Amino acid sequence: MMGVQNKVDHTVIEHMEHAVDEACSNVIKHAYEGDPGKQIGVTLRVSPEAFEVIIEDSGLKADVASIRGRDLDEIRPGGLGVHLIKRACDVVEFDEKKKEGNRLRLVKYLNVKHGNKDKRP
Amino acid sequence: MEIKIKDHEGVKIIALSGDIDMYASPEVRKQLLRMIDQRVPVIMVDLANVTYIGSSGIATFVEGLKGMMSYSGRLKFFGIPTKVMEIFNFSKLDKVFDMYGSMEDAFKS
Repeated sequence: MMGVQNKVDHTVIEHMEHAVDEACSNVIKHAYEGDPGKQIGVTLRVSPEAFEVIIEDSGLKADVASIRGRDLDEIRPGGLGVHLIKRACDVVEFDEKKKEGNRLRLVKYLNVKHGNKDKRP
Repeated sequence: MEIKIKDHEGVKIIALSGDIDMYASPEVRKQLLRMIDQRVPVIMVDLANVTYIGSSGIATFVEGLKGMMSYSGRLKFFGIPTKVMEIFNFSKLDKVFDMYGSMEDAFKS
């Protein structure tokens, strides 16, 4: 809704919806070990420059170094979610200062002039 | 999400509607694997009324495909909406899935 109100490109909104869904699914699967009843905080900020989403949980710490998608040429179940997140976002970063739980920041720049695409992890 | 199972001339058709996300995928998987256990030779998946598919839905179909390949069964998809097709393309599954525009086309092949 915020994206539509701010006239963000329709494809950007769709890709970000996918990214947020995949990120929240990962929180339930990994941080909350499959428990869908626990709380996930989702904060959206939309400006003319960027679409930013912060996803917070109080579950198990993500092992950031081990997060990687499958090779897309390798046809097997799983490992696609990370690709869908990276496809949507210019920035994908965990806040390493957060002591308990995880805080994931996803950013899509709306002006393509940002040369430095900081894609993590 | 809603799942309807139909029998048509010996072919099982799984008609899905709504979002195939992490909540819905386990039920789709359950139905698909049950048919695979029975070695159903042809399963067709009607995606015409699917509004969203996430990685869990894709993983379910890949698992189904692999299961059917073990006994040379065929898993066919038809009525694929543009949004879903875009995810199939992105995940390079358009190269391995049998996909058709309509149920008639899927039957003919």
